[in-house]
Amino acid sequence: MSKTKHIFAVLILSLLGITLLVSLSKLPNQFEYANSIYHHVVNNSITETGSLNFVTAILYDYRAYDSLGESTIIFGAVSGIVLLLSRKTLPVSSHGLSFIVKRTFGMLTPFIFLFGIYIITHGHLSPGGGFQGGVILGAISIIFSIVYGSEFDYKRYSPTTKTLLETSGALLFIGLGFMGILLGGNFLMNLNILNAEVGSLLSAGSIPFINIGIGFKIGAGLAIIFYSMIQKTFKEEVDL
Amino acid sequence: MNVALILLIVIPLGTAILIPLIDIFHKEVRKYLVVFSAFLEFIILLYIVVNNFSKITNGSIFLTYNLGGWLPPLGINLTLDMLSLYFVALISTAVLFLVIYSIGYIGHHEGKYYVLLFLMWAAMLGIILTSDIFNFYVFLELVLITTAPLIAFKRNREGTEAAIKYMFYGILGGVFIFIGIILIYFNLGTLNFAEISANFNMLPLNIQILISIFFLVGLFIKLGIFPFHFWVAKAQSAAPSPISALLSGVVEKIYIYAFLRLIWNVFGINVLQDTGMSKIIIYVALLSSIIGHVLALYEDDLKRMLAYSTIGHLGIIIAIVTVNTKFAIMAGLLHVLSHLLMKISLFTSAGFLLQFTPSHKLKDSRGVAHENISVFSGFIIAAAGMMGLPPMIGFFSKLFIVRSFINSSFYFGASLVVLGSIFSFIYYSRYITYGFKKISLGSPEEFRLILSVLYREKVVKNIALLFVIAVVLSGIFYKTVFCPLEGVYNVLENPSLYIDLILGG
Repeated sequence: MSKTKHIFAVLILSLLGITLLVSLSKLPNQFEYANSIYHHVVNNSITETGSLNFVTAILYDYRAYDSLGESTIIFGAVSGIVLLLSRKTLPVSSHGLSFIVKRTFGMLTPFIFLFGIYIITHGHLSPGGGFQGGVILGAISIIFSIVYGSEFDYKRYSPTTKTLLETSGALLFIGLGFMGILLGGNFLMNLNILNAEVGSLLSAGSIPFINIGIGFKIGAGLAIIFYSMIQKTFKEEVDL
Repeated sequence: MNVALILLIVIPLGTAILIPLIDIFHKEVRKYLVVFSAFLEFIILLYIVVNNFSKITNGSIFLTYNLGGWLPPLGINLTLDMLSLYFVALISTAVLFLVIYSIGYIGHHEGKYYVLLFLMWAAMLGIILTSDIFNFYVFLELVLITTAPLIAFKRNREGTEAAIKYMFYGILGGVFIFIGIILIYFNLGTLNFAEISANFNMLPLNIQILISIFFLVGLFIKLGIFPFHFWVAKAQSAAPSPISALLSGVVEKIYIYAFLRLIWNVFGINVLQDTGMSKIIIYVALLSSIIGHVLALYEDDLKRMLAYSTIGHLGIIIAIVTVNTKFAIMAGLLHVLSHLLMKISLFTSAGFLLQFTPSHKLKDSRGVAHENISVFSGFIIAAAGMMGLPPMIGFFSKLFIVRSFINSSFYFGASLVVLGSIFSFIYYSRYITYGFKKISLGSPEEFRLILSVLYREKVVKNIALLFVIAVVLSGIFYKTVFCPLEGVYNVLENPSLYIDLILGG
């Protein structure tokens, strides 16, 4: 029974694959569309947004609304995982690794933190940005739990703090959006807050602030995901 | 420029973000915040309707909002025309009452529940209002990510299995749509609906067909049309009742909106009609419809039965709009409304009635009618609407569907609709006869263990009855619902108007 099923599945899949291959091979090799938004972004994005990084200019200025949606997906995933994984009985937290590892990470962690902050704040100048830097910040919480034991993580960086950081990051993003409306423009307009010359740290309008907001949101969100997988989460879930 | 459009999306989104913050400081406020923002959303919708009432009556409403101040081809813009307005009105009103229903129904883990519910709401409105294809995809995935945990909300084996299955199918559908978007950007260099629409017919025909097939397969997987229907029953029966109502009544309608918008306004229905693909779609949808009804006939679980009946009705809607005559599209759109109202009232009253029974099984529901006759008669009225009995709205939408099938000489489709009605008569009457049987139910402790307890019984009951009243009233005043649909039809039939309005303004 299962064997015929497998053969059937393989047949259908290979048939679909061949059809797809034939169709895709008929696509022309080179596409040149005169009115593509690509030309506009490449030629004008530095003067229009003040960001040296094209990707950042697209993500946080031209299509900042998409980034709002994407970071909201992370927010939704965090809420879902916390909802599903929180439970009453829990495994006892680890006590951390050996003294050598603890000392080494004691020296390394500040630099990891600094690197995360650097990636976030220089999003408009170099590769990186809120999403990438946020992941690095989220890793710090994982280091705390693995190297020093999850109780240390709970004391230093409690779930309440994490939630506060996450929501404040999201609120910063939406707040910047509303600032645009209040200042007479549109939602998520690039505000003229930081207007030093292009290429310096304090440039590119509100893009660095959006980066910081997303960075906090992603970092705290990933920390919450990791945390809810290893230990008991908020009190609300405990008194079920 | 209309700020109300962005407020429609940001209010549920902001509420979802505020709820965890409020949970830290003061949990009691959460309930009021949730209801307050749901009503605020409704007030903004009313504001839009009242402000543009004369334009709505002649079908020429067109509001637009450029996000970030970038003009359409470059940035993302939100648009609201008759088609979007129709779906926004349906969804916002339905979700408003389902939020109130949830306050009575859900008693644990409320914080995260409302976060996910409001994110889902924001995402659904985002899908409807956007006119940018990548933004459309982002919100489509947000709907998926937020619905899956809600399906597994009961955290039992059944729910987890259903949620994982739903995730797999949803992601697969999303991947198909994403490949379609990549092909569009690769070929046209733009993501704006209007620009795609203006240039789509300059592409070679095989690429046009390829892109449409990718989108159609993606949407059909997400809709649960026949070859991909396996997740529907599991997901809708495992979820708590308000979420089942949302999944079946509201979320599925989003994909119908996406189908209408993409195929008519963006790709153009001509591609499908010239290549004969529209015939295939009609037959696949009709086949799916009859399979849904047959599976419902064999089902002995109430919520799974309702879920299979959803497949049946969605198939009919997809088939009738693809027939693409004026009357057919209007009938299909009316059936969107009628299915939404009837399915939500069925699921909400089932959620109330299931508290008296030890399980979802039909034969366990003996004597339910004597427990609460008012909700049970509400269930009967909504079920009668599903069968297509007058004066419920289901009668008129089914009548118009049959008539437009016959007018375009699709006798096969017309007979299938009638057959589906007969099938639904059989499977609903099975539940109803079980309900009237006089057998004492088990002791309360016995089923308290199996089913969730209702927290505010009165709220749940009244909302369920409210939806039933809506089914009857919209049936009696069906003309007031049906006539504005002409404006929706005009939007669908004039893609060039849509292009001009977005790119010109």
